[in-house]
Amino acid sequence: MKTKEPKILVANRDLVLPGQALAIGPVKPGDYVYVDKKGVLRSTKVGLADIRDGEIRVVPLAGGYIPREGDLVIGTVSKVAGNTILVNINSAYMGIIIPPRGLRGPSRAKYNLSLGDVVLAKVKAFNGASTPLLSIEGEGLGKLRGGRIYVINPTRVPRVIGKRQSMLMLLRDKLGPDIIVGQNGVIWFNPKTLRHALLFEKILQKIEREAHVSGLSDRVLQLIESSGLDEGSGSV
Amino acid sequence: MPLIVEEKPEVLITDEGIRTDGRGPLDIRPIKIQVGILSRADGSAYIEWGGNRILAAVFGPREVHPKHMALPDRAILRCRYNMAPFSTPERKRPGPDRRSIELSKVIREALLPAVFVEKYPGTAIDVFVEILRSDAGTRVAGVTAASLALANAGIEMRGLVTAIAVGRVGDWIVVDPNHDEDQWGDADVPMAFLMEEKLVTLLQLDGPLTEEQFDKALELGSKAADLVYELQKEALRRPYEVVRLEILKGGE
Amino acid sequence: MLDERIAAELVSGYIRELAASGQRKDGRAFDEIRPIEVKPGTFTKGEGEAWVSLGNTQVLVGVKVDVGTPFPDTPDKGVLISNVELLPLASPTFEPGPPDENAVEMARVVDRALRGANAIDMEKLVVKVGELVYMIFLDMYALDHDGNIIDAFALGSLVALSRTKIPVVELKEDGEIQVKEETFDLPMKDFPITFSFVKIGEALMIDPTLEEELVSDAAITVSIDSVGRVCSIQKRHGIFRIDEIKRAIEVARRKYPEVAEILRTQGGA
Repeated sequence: MKTKEPKILVANRDLVLPGQALAIGPVKPGDYVYVDKKGVLRSTKVGLADIRDGEIRVVPLAGGYIPREGDLVIGTVSKVAGNTILVNINSAYMGIIIPPRGLRGPSRAKYNLSLGDVVLAKVKAFNGASTPLLSIEGEGLGKLRGGRIYVINPTRVPRVIGKRQSMLMLLRDKLGPDIIVGQNGVIWFNPKTLRHALLFEKILQKIEREAHVSGLSDRVLQLIESSGLDEGSGSV
Repeated sequence: MPLIVEEKPEVLITDEGIRTDGRGPLDIRPIKIQVGILSRADGSAYIEWGGNRILAAVFGPREVHPKHMALPDRAILRCRYNMAPFSTPERKRPGPDRRSIELSKVIREALLPAVFVEKYPGTAIDVFVEILRSDAGTRVAGVTAASLALANAGIEMRGLVTAIAVGRVGDWIVVDPNHDEDQWGDADVPMAFLMEEKLVTLLQLDGPLTEEQFDKALELGSKAADLVYELQKEALRRPYEVVRLEILKGGE
Repeated sequence: MLDERIAAELVSGYIRELAASGQRKDGRAFDEIRPIEVKPGTFTKGEGEAWVSLGNTQVLVGVKVDVGTPFPDTPDKGVLISNVELLPLASPTFEPGPPDENAVEMARVVDRALRGANAIDMEKLVVKVGELVYMIFLDMYALDHDGNIIDAFALGSLVALSRTKIPVVELKEDGEIQVKEETFDLPMKDFPITFSFVKIGEALMIDPTLEEELVSDAAITVSIDSVGRVCSIQKRHGIFRIDEIKRAIEVARRKYPEVAEILRTQGGA
């Protein structure tokens, strides 16, 4: 009886395409990897191969947001009907907020949402097929006042946050603390000035475009520095 | 009233196998592909194949309207093949005709096996194939582009689908029939494959073929599809390579 | 994908804020038009065609020529038939099916702009008066919607028409229609250009993006011919004061030479 050796066919961070053979043998298939009838591990998307600890997964470069329990998402209230609030979370699946029964006074107030309100919520439950249940119970969740929202490809969210939140911390440091990133690709930012807002947009565009090329944090830092924007000065 | 009257060429293929456009029996017409050409669609691909100009676009996964059409365990895949009024020598009235309705279905069936619809229950994935300029083989060019549009949209797939047509002119089996061969040839076999495992997802036959001729058509088609597949993959990689090179060159 | 109407509402406050201080989200001036590009190449089997982009908005216009009987009240003129298809692939909000009221309005506005300026010399499009004339089919296809599709259609139509080559048709004694090899250029007498504006609060801005369109309080389209006359107007939604309409016309007149020049260099119009 022969024990098979795992055969890895791609290098880490290689650009891979749907159907592309990534590995054969005892390798664990991670996200966006399937195993065909002959035991070959293949990518399901256009993305970057990520190989570690005997597992191979694909970091996608395209695709819409599919809700996951525990995700922090930002959405807009699209319908208020009786006791339910429908929230558009930039996904094929509409989110829903159902206020818990028996709430009174201030704890009930946060559920007085209207059409168009921006909310920060957590995905509480999702059966994979319809309407994820969202929760706004919890510190900082609920209606976001002021600021503006930006929509990026959800596959870029990890790059906007960065390893150990490094990119997000950089952005908060240089552009202002009021930045919240939803896993669904919707970002809320309350800029101090118009210049901050325009720079933020430029940065997001850069991240979207260059996410697949390493050294992104350095390039973003360079962009911020060359813009002449100082966190201290607040004038336009 | 057609302003242009077509005449059958005297010779469709010479004894040495030279076709009306100068190609040999195995030659594919020139193909150019560009993905991500539209800003609104979730995914898109534009293909120039011979004189064909075809635009494929994908929206999805997205909510299904009307709601009752949604399936609880998978996405529904919808496809619309449409020819522009200016795509043919004589103006085509806008709107679906029986041929486009059949082709919409055939193209959907060609793409469906490639898509992991079970990953998107309760949603719709919509594919649009617009023929801007028609020059024989629109369905195969359409499938080839649509497959890329799906990948460009980030829809999970088992792999790319590549399509090609093979024809018969007299005793010659010719790859990628041109307009003359399509009009006046003796048989036409459009086909498409889920490439990595070479599984057939589209196969039609119009015109008589002996068993031998049919085998040859499939064999030649499969080989030709390999070449088109390389072009598809290159088109998917290209936008990323372009950005990577730009950054390496320090072009800011 | 966020419902674009809601998304627009979200940026609405921000776009309004900007508008009130004389600015636009993409940094353009109120009288600045997005980059216009006529894509080189052949994309249709039309006798004339143009693939035009206006910022991210993309349209493809194809001209097909046929012959047929003239309208009874104009036996000495050719026929122009304009059609618009807002293809479902251009926007998640466009549905397949026959042209809706927006598509029909756009087609008729572009058509009216051409007629109002006598852009096409219809009298030269006759094979035999009262019996056989050339029929010009102008098919405008929207491919990618980022606002102001109508101006993109008008630009595309101008370029497509000015490139149109019509095969010479002869009507024989015995009623036989003969199509010759030789062609003649579609005779153009003028080049009307449409300019669309939206009003956001008190701000009037030209060439709106999709967001600006969705947020706008009012919209108007005017077309100007080569000698500065107004050849057609269509107020779309909302209300305008008379002085605002006059201002829009004035801006349109002022922008005409610049856009005409772009069309000339890029499209050979």
